[in-house]
Amino acid sequence: MKDYFYLQFVMTNRKIKEAGINPLLGFVLSFVAFVLLSEYIFQKTEFAKYLVILTCLSLQFKLSEKNRTDFLLSTFGDNIKKKIRIFENVIVSIPFVAVLIYKNAFIEATLLLVIAIIIASFSFYTNFNFSIPTPFSKRPFEFSVGFRKTFFIFPVAYILTVIAINMGNLNLGIFSMMLIFLTSFSYFAKPEQEYYVWVHAETPKTFLKNKISTATKNASLLVVPILIILLIFYPIEFELILLFFLIGLLFLWTIILAKYSAYPGEMNLPEGMLIAFSIYFPPLLLAILPFFYNKSIKKLNVFLNDKN
Amino acid sequence: MIKINRLHKTYGNSEVLKNINLEFSKGKVYGIVGENGAGKTTLFRCIAGLENYDGEIISDVNPLKNHLGLLLTDPFFFSRITGKEYIRLLCNARNKTNIDIDDKNIFDLPLNQYASTYSTGMKKKLAITAILLQENEYLILDEPFNGVDIQSNIILAEIILKLKELNKIVIISSHIFSTLSDTCDYIHLLRKGEQIKSVEKLEFKNLEQEMKTMTIGNRIEKFDLK
Repeated sequence: MKDYFYLQFVMTNRKIKEAGINPLLGFVLSFVAFVLLSEYIFQKTEFAKYLVILTCLSLQFKLSEKNRTDFLLSTFGDNIKKKIRIFENVIVSIPFVAVLIYKNAFIEATLLLVIAIIIASFSFYTNFNFSIPTPFSKRPFEFSVGFRKTFFIFPVAYILTVIAINMGNLNLGIFSMMLIFLTSFSYFAKPEQEYYVWVHAETPKTFLKNKISTATKNASLLVVPILIILLIFYPIEFELILLFFLIGLLFLWTIILAKYSAYPGEMNLPEGMLIAFSIYFPPLLLAILPFFYNKSIKKLNVFLNDKN
Repeated sequence: MIKINRLHKTYGNSEVLKNINLEFSKGKVYGIVGENGAGKTTLFRCIAGLENYDGEIISDVNPLKNHLGLLLTDPFFFSRITGKEYIRLLCNARNKTNIDIDDKNIFDLPLNQYASTYSTGMKKKLAITAILLQENEYLILDEPFNGVDIQSNIILAEIILKLKELNKIVIISSHIFSTLSDTCDYIHLLRKGEQIKSVEKLEFKNLEQEMKTMTIGNRIEKFDLK
C-alpha cells in the first residue's frame, strides 16, 4: 500500500514536470490557486459550500471508476483495495473539508468526509451505452462529436434568445447566436489524428471545401432557429443580425483554415494572434483567410497527395 | 501491382528499413512477419504515404493511398462517435455514400453505441468493416487477427480469401503464424529493417520451423524457469 501511494506521488510529480513546472512549485501554486478560488467562490455565491462538496464528490466518483477499482482489486486483494480507496478519498477530501471548516460549515465538512468514506466502497461505470442523438450523422465527425460534448450549451442559448425577446434586448439575442458560433469554433480547436486526414481520397482543395461546406451547413442548422426568431422580432435590425451571422461564419471558416494551416501541429501563438487581431478588426479576415488557406493547402498536401 | 524499389527509411540516425525490394501482384495475399520493431508497421506507413522515405513505391493506380484500405494495429476512435458514424466517416472519405451500414454489419457490432466503449476486439472489427466497405483495391491489415475472437477470426480469414478472389492485393502482418499460412500466398520475413527471406506457400512449414528455432534459441534454458 505504501508503494502504491509512493508511485502515485511519483506519477503526479512527473505530470507536473511534463507541464514544465518544478513539482514543489507546482504544489505551492496549486495550493495558492485553490485557496484564492475558494475565497472567490465564497464571496460570489451563497451556494459556495455546495459547489465545494460537488467538486470534491465528482473527483471521488472518478477515483471510483470500475476499471480502476477492478485493477486495485486484482492487484492488491479486497482488504487492501478497500483501505487504498478510503485513504485516497480522504486525501482528496482534506483540502475541501479544510475550506468548509474554515468557513464554519462544520456539518457539511463532517458529511463530506463520511460520504467520501462510503463512496470508497463502491465502483461506478463512467462509460454509458447511451449515445446522444445528433442531426449530423450523415457527415459525422467534428459536429457530431462536438455536439455531444457541448449539448448543454444549446438549450442555454435558445432560452437566452427567448429571454432576449421577452426583455426586448437584441444584444442578448445576438450574444446567444454568437454563443453557438463560439461553441462550433471549439470543435476545430484540436488537430485530428493524421489517419483521419489521410483516409480522404480528395485533393487538399476539395478536402477544405468539403470541411467548410459541412461546417457551414451544420453551424447554420444550430444558429438558424435563433436567427429566424431575431429576424421576426427585430425586422428593422435585419442588416445587423445578418451581419453578425456572416461574421460568425467568416470566423468559423478562419478557424478551420487556421487549424489545417498548423496541421498536424496544434494552432499556436501566430494563428491565435492573427485571429485575435481580426476580432478587433474583422475586415482583416479578408486578408487572413487566403493566408491560412494557402498554408493549409501546403500542409495537407503531405497527407492527401501521394508522394510516389 | 505495387512495386517497392530500394526502400530506405531512417528516424534520425536509426535506419529502420534497409533496401527493401518487394513486388505485390493482384489476386495475391502477402504476409509480412518479423519481431516487434522489425519495421513492419513502418513499411506499411511508407506504402500508405504516411512517412517520407528514400527509394520508390510504384503502383498501377495513382495516388495509391486513395485506393488503399489501411487497418492500423491500434485504430484510434474519437470519444463520442458511434460505430455507425465511424463507418460512415470512413466511407464518406472515399465517396462511398449509399451504403446500408446495418445490413453490412457482418460482425454484429452494436453500431449505435460509442466506438470508444467497444472492447479491443470490437474496435478492430469495426475498423475492418469500415475499410472493407470503402471497396479498396489494396488492403494493408496490420495485425488484423489480434484481440479478435475466434469466430470473427474465421470470418476474417474467409473475407481475405474472398478479397483474393476479387483480384485485390492484400498485405497482412500477424504474430500468429497459422493465420498467415492459411491465407497467404507469399510471406516476407523482416528482421531489424532488413528483408531476410521471401517464401512461397509450399515452404511455409520450413519457414515456421526456422523462425521457431531462431526465435527460441537457448532463451528458455537461460531463463531457468522454476
